[in-house]
Amino acid sequence: MHYESPVREPLVLGNKTYHDITLDVVRPVESTAPKAWWIAFSIALAMFLWGVGAILWTIANGIGSWGLNKTVGWAWDITNFVWWVGIGHAGTLISAVLLLFRQKWRMSINRSAEAMTIFSVIQAGLFPVIHMGRVWVAYFVLPIPNQFGSLWVNFNSPLLWDVFALSTYLSVSTVFWYVGLIPDFAMIRDRAINPIQKHIYRILSFGWGGKAKHWQRFEEVSLVLAGLATPLVLSVHTIVSMDFATSVIPGWHTTIFPPYFVAGAIFSGFAMVQTLLIIVRKLFKMEDYITIQHIEMMNIIIMVTGSIVGVAYITELFIAYYSGVEYEQYAFLNRATGPYWWAYWSMMTCNVFSPQFMWSKKLRTNLVFTFIISIVVNIGMWFERFVIIVTSLHRDYLPSSWAMFSPSSIDIAFYMGTIGFFFVLFLLYARTFPVIAQAELKTILKSSGASQKKHHTEDDHAHH
Amino acid sequence: MASEKKYWKGFDELGNTPVAQKLAQNEFAEDLPVEAILGDGALLESSNTSRRDFLKFVGFSTAAATLAACENPIVESIPYVVKPDAITPGIPNYYATSYVDGQDFASVLIKTREGRPIKVEPGDKGFFNSGTTARAQASVLSLYDSARLSSPVKGEEASDWKKVEAALKSAVEKSKTEGKTFTLLTSSVFSPSTKGVIERMRGAYENFNHVQWDAASVSQKLDVWEALTGNRALPFYDLKSAKVIVSVGEDFLDGGMAQQLASDYAVGRKPGAGMSRHYQFESNLSMTGSNADQRVKVKASEYGAALAYLYNQVSGASVRVGALSADAKKVLDKAAKDLVAHKGASVVFSGGNIGANEHLAAAINAALSNIGTTVQAGKSVYVAQGNDLSLSNLASDLKAGRVGALVVWGANPAYAAPGFADLIKKATFSLALTDRLDETASLCTYSAPVPHYLESWNDYTPVAGHYAVAQPTIAPLFDSKPAQEVLMSLLGDATLYKDVVRSAVAARGLSVNAILHDGGVQLSDGASGAGSGAAAKALAGASVAAEEAAKAATGEWEVVFYQKAVGAGFQANNPWLHELPDPISRVTWDNYVTISAADALKLGVENTSESNGAINGSCLTLTVNGTTLERVPAWIQPGQAAGTLGLALGYGRTKVGKVADNVGVNAYSLMKSGSAYAVAKVTLAEDEHEFASVQLGNTMMGRKIVNETTLATFLADSTGKSWNEKAEFHTLEGSVKANEANLWPDHDHKTLHMWNMSIDLNSCIGCGACVVACHIENNVPVVGKDEVRRFRDMHWLRIDRYYSSDTSHESAEADGVGVMAKYAAMEVPSASPEVVFQPVMCQHCNHAPCETVCPVAATTHSQEGLNHMTYNRCIGTRYCANNCPYKVRRFNWFNYMKNDKFTGVNPSQDDLGRMVLNPDVTVRSRGVMEKCSFCIQRIQYAKLEAKKKGEPMVDGAFTTACAQACSTGALSFGDVNNAKSAVAAVKQDARAYHLLEEVGTQPSVFYQSKVRNQA
Repeated sequence: MHYESPVREPLVLGNKTYHDITLDVVRPVESTAPKAWWIAFSIALAMFLWGVGAILWTIANGIGSWGLNKTVGWAWDITNFVWWVGIGHAGTLISAVLLLFRQKWRMSINRSAEAMTIFSVIQAGLFPVIHMGRVWVAYFVLPIPNQFGSLWVNFNSPLLWDVFALSTYLSVSTVFWYVGLIPDFAMIRDRAINPIQKHIYRILSFGWGGKAKHWQRFEEVSLVLAGLATPLVLSVHTIVSMDFATSVIPGWHTTIFPPYFVAGAIFSGFAMVQTLLIIVRKLFKMEDYITIQHIEMMNIIIMVTGSIVGVAYITELFIAYYSGVEYEQYAFLNRATGPYWWAYWSMMTCNVFSPQFMWSKKLRTNLVFTFIISIVVNIGMWFERFVIIVTSLHRDYLPSSWAMFSPSSIDIAFYMGTIGFFFVLFLLYARTFPVIAQAELKTILKSSGASQKKHHTEDDHAHH
Repeated sequence: MASEKKYWKGFDELGNTPVAQKLAQNEFAEDLPVEAILGDGALLESSNTSRRDFLKFVGFSTAAATLAACENPIVESIPYVVKPDAITPGIPNYYATSYVDGQDFASVLIKTREGRPIKVEPGDKGFFNSGTTARAQASVLSLYDSARLSSPVKGEEASDWKKVEAALKSAVEKSKTEGKTFTLLTSSVFSPSTKGVIERMRGAYENFNHVQWDAASVSQKLDVWEALTGNRALPFYDLKSAKVIVSVGEDFLDGGMAQQLASDYAVGRKPGAGMSRHYQFESNLSMTGSNADQRVKVKASEYGAALAYLYNQVSGASVRVGALSADAKKVLDKAAKDLVAHKGASVVFSGGNIGANEHLAAAINAALSNIGTTVQAGKSVYVAQGNDLSLSNLASDLKAGRVGALVVWGANPAYAAPGFADLIKKATFSLALTDRLDETASLCTYSAPVPHYLESWNDYTPVAGHYAVAQPTIAPLFDSKPAQEVLMSLLGDATLYKDVVRSAVAARGLSVNAILHDGGVQLSDGASGAGSGAAAKALAGASVAAEEAAKAATGEWEVVFYQKAVGAGFQANNPWLHELPDPISRVTWDNYVTISAADALKLGVENTSESNGAINGSCLTLTVNGTTLERVPAWIQPGQAAGTLGLALGYGRTKVGKVADNVGVNAYSLMKSGSAYAVAKVTLAEDEHEFASVQLGNTMMGRKIVNETTLATFLADSTGKSWNEKAEFHTLEGSVKANEANLWPDHDHKTLHMWNMSIDLNSCIGCGACVVACHIENNVPVVGKDEVRRFRDMHWLRIDRYYSSDTSHESAEADGVGVMAKYAAMEVPSASPEVVFQPVMCQHCNHAPCETVCPVAATTHSQEGLNHMTYNRCIGTRYCANNCPYKVRRFNWFNYMKNDKFTGVNPSQDDLGRMVLNPDVTVRSRGVMEKCSFCIQRIQYAKLEAKKKGEPMVDGAFTTACAQACSTGALSFGDVNNAKSAVAAVKQDARAYHLLEEVGTQPSVFYQSKVRNQA
């Protein structure tokens, strides 16, 4: 039997009963959408359609409609790709790694964090596909037996590794997420009055009956999937970083990239979770589940990973100096002082300096401040990828080929479109899915719920 | 004994049953009982094929037929019924002919495929001007220019040749009776047969008058040489034997001369004990000046003074010397010493159309006994014949209404002679024999098309002793008629000009077939006694010339005219020439004034960079003698002499075609009768101009990109250890050469061919002929100004130009400059920079970074050392381009064949322009990467030829388009596994090095270090 120390803060506040949790979770699904939801959804949908227009324009006219050139062959496309993949990282970390480490506080946030993972990986996947000059032959990257002759993919190419890494990540995350959803869908099904709704949730819940055998299998599958997903937290961004690390371009060719990218990904992922959950807890009145304690925990992770990223930045600078390689030295000096100095210093300010405020307990438990920092961090992480990609490419070995990059309106529209798409998915999710893993959460109500903790304390007092 | 096995089709056959017997007799199945079934109404009634089923079958078969019809559209092609002897599809034919475009002459070979000329290649007989310049290379596209005039017109209305000839005849007759002149205005004519026709005109019409005039005039130079030798022709220069070359303002390597000097110049520039030394004194940083060992900035008005000073120094005379800077004098003293030490083996050039200066240069050459050796006054070069005076006489005749009939042929005075546009209308009748309705033709009464040089017959004497012919390589595309036939029609002579040329050849006792095969014949070495008195006359006139030179107009601002790739403007509608970056400024699609940084500051001129790197510049207003040229963009140019502005001719055309109309400004409007420079008033205008430059980084940033040394160091250490250090890696096992340190297994490059290219940076003069040749050979699209501005030029081969900077790693350390300030200072070119040119194409790395990163293996390595690009496998991730240290890969951002944005510039968007495409090279689709293939189509062709012959490949049997176009021999290509090949020999040269060797890419291209012969 699990023992929860009485000294710890309760994880579920408000003296909830099981039924209270059920009602709280199911409320957004069963009630009609508030006006605020409709406004948010309309804006997201408009942005999404704007992005769809940009994608269609790109496919119809060519990659020339972006701001790229002969020297800078990747810019916003791959920046956005890496950014979205990075954002996706927190979900798996929360649901898989924290599950294995038995961190119970994750239970009220893992559902949404994982949803965010899947939705952002979908956004991420759009970029490498659309950025292809000939998107209609995108299937060439898949190792499909074919009749073109002895044509096969190039297993040396990090881009191919990306294909495998991303598709694995997306499928494992989706399955893991879905498995967790089954008992919760069943709960909604059981409460549903509308026959259509009932029918849909019946299909979605896979005939869940709540039997002991069901629970046993559920636990086992969750554990196995957590075990599978855990290495993915590390591998996906490691492989993404190898797109750069295995190249010969000064500023890309860096062995520190894998851990540095993983830390950065977790950093940005948690920031995005903060952004979303602060909104969700407010809109859906989930303050009792997503507590200040959760916010604080995540802020600590943001602070730690932000510092790791900061160390990585400084290491890069030092190694550039220490290597004695002229090109390398110039690449980093150019990052900090060249034409894109503003991007570098935006990155430094947002990623390295801003999380340091979290050393203060007062600040890291302040919702408004957290919300601002979470957005600042994601801006910083976007700039990090931009700095790595564009400032390395724009001035590499031969000065004759140096160039600059400036985004076109299509670049901007495509990026905004993916933000819109993300929120379209997230808002739909928030109205139709159980946003908190209520079945799991109920398991800790007896040990870490507010009423239980209160009893604990009272009992202690009584004994003394 | 053979076994008689028998196989049965079944047991019935084995058992030989009656059924089997019947089947064996009746081999073919019986007819289908169609009649029996369809005729039997009862059977049909009882059949269960309902109407529904029937409709289903019909529907299915319709759908199936529709789907089956979804094929590519059928392109109808008609095969030969009787195949012409000479044309085999897939096999090119070559014709030797002469390239003449109104300005240049070259002996060339034309490659035709299936009857279409597709490429201009250098002549192979070693005749005069056998190299191809960028203009000569590009000239094949002018043939397929959709702006060409297709049939005669009268003003706006269509006309025909009969009417044109009748109108001309009556106008000429009328002019005779009215006592007015019948004037023929042409550019230089050096064709004996054409001259013959013109002589017949002169004989038939007393009022006939022939005016020869060149837009980019050397008339005053011709006047000088006419006075010295009695021959209106420039002398032949022999640069091969010149050990010291001094040029005062003459851009002699870049088309300013009728004679191509680049190949002979390069001979003398081979590093070694006898390497020539080149001094250049000039205002604009010219391509020639960029190649000089020592270059001094001199104002154009001081050219005469510089020459007079030099004359005094070498001859001991004391003619009058105008104002001259101390810097110039110091270097002139050195040059004079060098010249005197190399009497008879040195040469002095004078630039621009300035008679007095040319006379002084001739006098210096005379004093140095160069006349007869390097300056062969007796061997006349006839390519330039124009006479400025005769044009001004024509202008006054026109003004006075004395011209009855004016025929303008191959000249465009309305564009290039200021004020002439208003005068043409004053002729009673005017006829333009032209290739297009240009500025002049559109003002004439009638305009009629003449054939392109690739459609024409002609003969030429470009230089004494050389008789060249031109033959058509394609039937005329339009309803054109040679101008000579039009003139002969006046005499009622309907002989074809072709027959005139052929009989002229025959009359010289030459075989027509032999001369057509070779494209010409060397009759003699051309030397004559005409130059014998020239030296004495030149010396005698020196002091008068010096007095004259001292009177050169001077002012605060001197606009110095020069020429770029489009030359005088005849080929201004050629997009290949516009897209070719200027060798110095690297700007495309423009002309502009070049201005020094100090002057720019004074005037408030700025060149700023937009967020995407594109450069914008201020504009100036130039006023010369009351003529104002508005909105002239200004480009800040290192090496520009203070107080001077360079301005290129040939731009600012208004009626040349969709490509070049209103590109740039018309510099001729400021140029008075071919003057070399003009004194101008300059004010800053408010406008801003958008430049399209392909190069942003101007200096090497202290990196070893072009390895460079001085002749003294080179001679002192023949191993190259001290001046051509190879990159090394320090490993556990000691130092390892960068190209030997491997993580991966090497490809086997010993068994088959191993193609390598050597690029000699000492021979490369930066002219860009290779770039244009590559553009043509490989069907590279033209992308136009806006896309070049976005750094999306598609050239597979580029010539990087680097300026030297005043700051280096060493100087910064010595001066204690901080690292940030150092790099900032190193980006700034010196005000008097040394310049290097470096052609860069795909380096065909043997450890190629691009190959490993392609997810679909679209770029792979061949066993012959080539880096292949498989277009139809490419999905366009651009990862390869990002990972290329040399940045030579080019991405198809758009569908250049179809996209509306490129209709105006890309020749392959119209039916006519598409004819120039090389059928051996795929036209790439949108979204794929492309790059130099080492002309793999040529490699494969040569391999197949060798295979057919059953012989091994011979070194030099073929070469790449770039190497072929290079007239200085800077590029050499071949198989290094063939120990006897030229490229295998130079690979071992002490000067050889790989670009970015330390990256470990092991390129198949290597460079030969540059050696400067500094005093």
